[in-house]
Parts: sequence; structure tokens; C-alpha cells
Amino acid sequence: MNDPLDRETLLDLVAAYALGVLPATQCSLVASLILADPEARREYDEARATANLVGLSAEEPVDSARAARMKERLLADVRSDVAPRRTPAGAARSSAVWGTALAAAAAVVFALVSVIQNFSLRSDLHEAQQRVAALQTHVDADRRTVARDRGMLTDLSASDAKRYTVAYGTVVTRGAHVYLALTSLPPLARGKVYQAWTLARGAKTVAPSVVFTPSENGLTLVPLRADARSLAAVAVSVEPEGGSRQPTTKPTFVQPLGAAQMQSGERGEHRSLS
Amino acid sequence: MEDGARLMERVRARDVDAFEQLYDGYHRLVFGIALRITSDAALAEDLTQSIFLKLWSSPETFREGNFAGWLSRVTRNQALDVVRSRANRPGAEMPAEIPAEASTDATVFARIDAQRVRGALSALSEEQRTPIELGFFAGITHEEIALRTGIPLGTIKTRIRTGLRRMRESLNETVSR
Repeated sequence: MNDPLDRETLLDLVAAYALGVLPATQCSLVASLILADPEARREYDEARATANLVGLSAEEPVDSARAARMKERLLADVRSDVAPRRTPAGAARSSAVWGTALAAAAAVVFALVSVIQNFSLRSDLHEAQQRVAALQTHVDADRRTVARDRGMLTDLSASDAKRYTVAYGTVVTRGAHVYLALTSLPPLARGKVYQAWTLARGAKTVAPSVVFTPSENGLTLVPLRADARSLAAVAVSVEPEGGSRQPTTKPTFVQPLGAAQMQSGERGEHRSLS
Repeated sequence: MEDGARLMERVRARDVDAFEQLYDGYHRLVFGIALRITSDAALAEDLTQSIFLKLWSSPETFREGNFAGWLSRVTRNQALDVVRSRANRPGAEMPAEIPAEASTDATVFARIDAQRVRGALSALSEEQRTPIELGFFAGITHEEIALRTGIPLGTIKTRIRTGLRRMRESLNETVSR
């Protein structure tokens, strides 16, 4: 790898990644390194296992009232989840019972008392439900992020992925997915960004894709929003901040996408798209 | 109590008794981490509830390895997410779950408990322990750790790396005794 960082520094980043202290912008870079470098992989496996255990030091006794309350709430939810649902016949029998005047009267009295006694409890419950709903939203977002990252890492490391060597890195396609894994991209002038372009099969003009800036660590991973199976080529050029509708500079590279598994050594940089 | 990973296998089969054992065995860990990160007992209680309910509803999210370590990481990430959403700021990102090649943590660290981890952490020098604890519990980036401690970023990275290595060695020693 043509990385400007020395090996020790990169491995230091792996430990920081395993602990979870890297900014989001660097995570995908280190993940790529881990997938490509067996020593980094070993370092990651060991560091992650150890870092996960740091949390155990926070274990502490929970006061018995709180522990019991939590357990009661939790098991009530769980048991209601596994309890068999009422059958229509059972519901009909139940309706008949509730049809008696005595039961109806009891229910009315019970409801009145409950409304008075539980008014504040319902308010607390509503608040708690809102907090649980908010937490659930975060959990769902986390799961989506992890699933997306896992899919990307699987694609990059898959043996059936197609890899094309280009200036400053590799274009990787697998199924419908296409990624740019670029190292040591030249720094950009102020107000400039890199922009990816895609050329659909049979098309005469390229379509604008994502804009990105190189990572300070020299490794940039860019998933493109296009179906790799319908693409004839991908390219990257330097464009004004915000991107352009058509390339305005000579491409950094242009890479046709074909059937070859690995076109090592082929460099498509500075070639015209037409 | 059965090992957490085995209990999770039973939870997958909708075994309520196994789930109850899981709660009895691990609620102190989940609540402790949530409380340490949020400094809010009511919120820590809600998080504990939410995390255990998730274990019940989606037991497949745990695949293999050291259950306590995995649960610890899940709790940490969810608690930090709540803290961040309240503060409306981004932070360090959880590592994408690159699948482990071998469940070394499961075999080597299966019997690790809180006391052993505290021992291993206290065996580190303060300069190694501080960035590791700040990173795990405060969820700040290595750059923020450097700013907060006034130590150069490169030194922080090295201390995290060497600290985790020493901690692992120390835990290995306690396991092999």
C-alpha cells in the first residue's frame, strides 16, 4: 500500500478503531486496512476483544427495589409476548361473562377508582413510552448503519468481486455495487472536490455521481449510487465544491468496467470518456 | 448460572426462564455501564429495559464470542447514542462489525468477570488507563482525548494500543492461573 503513514501509526489507528474512538470519517479507512492486512486484522481482533471487556469494570450492584422493578416490567413484557392469543371462542365466552350486570357494575367502580389513582402513573408511563420509542429509533438507525457497513466490507473482501487498478487505487464491483478505494489522492485546492462519474452502457454522456474529499490518512472509500451491472465505465475528476453537472476538468482516471476479474497494472487515468 | 452465550441460545428458542437468568446475571453490567455513561439513573433504567427487550426480540443479533463483552459494547454504544442525541453532537463511530475470524475472545475470555477487568485496568499506568476509559465511557474521539488531556494525538494512539495490549496480557495471566 502506498500510504503516507508508517506502519506503526496505522496499527495504532487499528487499536483506536477497535476501542471506538475514531471519527466516522476514518472508520471506513481503517476497516479497509483491516481487511487487506493480516497483521492489522489480528491486531483488530485482539484489541476489540479486550476493548469490549473495558465495560465490565462499570458493573455495579443495583439497589434491590430498582432491580426488582426493572425485572418485573421486563418479564411482564416478555411473558405477554409469549402468551397465547385469545381465540374467538374464548373471546365470546369472555363477553358473555362481562355481560352480567354484576360484572358491569364492578367494572365501572373499578374504572373510576383506577382513573383517579392512576392518573399520574399514566402520565409517567406515557413519558417512559416516548423515551423508549426514541431509543428504539436510535437502535434501528444503528442497525441500519451496521448492516450497510457490513455489506460494504463483505463486498470489498469478497473473492468474486471484480477489481480494477486505477490511478491512486482500485475500483471494486460486486453484483450491483461499485466502490472506489483510493489511496494517496493528491490534495485539493481550496473550493475543489473530487467527483465521481458513471457512464451507463449505451450512453454517450456521463452522469454525475457523489463528490468527496480525500482522507487525511490517504485512504478514501467511496460507494457509488449506481447499478454496477448497467455501467460501462466510472471516472473521477476534480470539480468545484458542490460538484458539476458535467466534468469540467481532465479526469483523474477513467475506468471501463468489463468482465475481467483483475486488471492489475492497467491504468485508465487521463483518458477521454468519449 | 449458565454461560451467557448458552443462555442466548435458549432465548432464541423463546425460553423465558433462560431470559430471566440472563437478566439476573447481566443487569448489573448493563445498568452500570448505562449509568456511568449517562449519569442519570432513570435513563440508565430505561436503557437497561430497552437493551434486554432487544435481546428478547432480536436474539440473533448476538452470534458468537464473549457475551459479556458483546453486551458491554452494545450497551456502551446505545448509551452514547442517547447522550449524543441529547447533546446533538456527533462522536466517535462504533467499528463496523467486521466478523471475527476466530472467536479468540470467547475461548480465552469466557471466564473474565468485572473484578478481573478492574484488576487489569488498575495494573495499567494512569497514562494508559485514562485514554482507554475516556474512549470507552465518554465516547469521544482520540483527537478529543488529546485535547482534553493535553497530550499529543500520536501519543494518545500509542497509549491506547499499548494499554489494550497490556490489559490483554494481564487478563490472559489471570485466566491461565
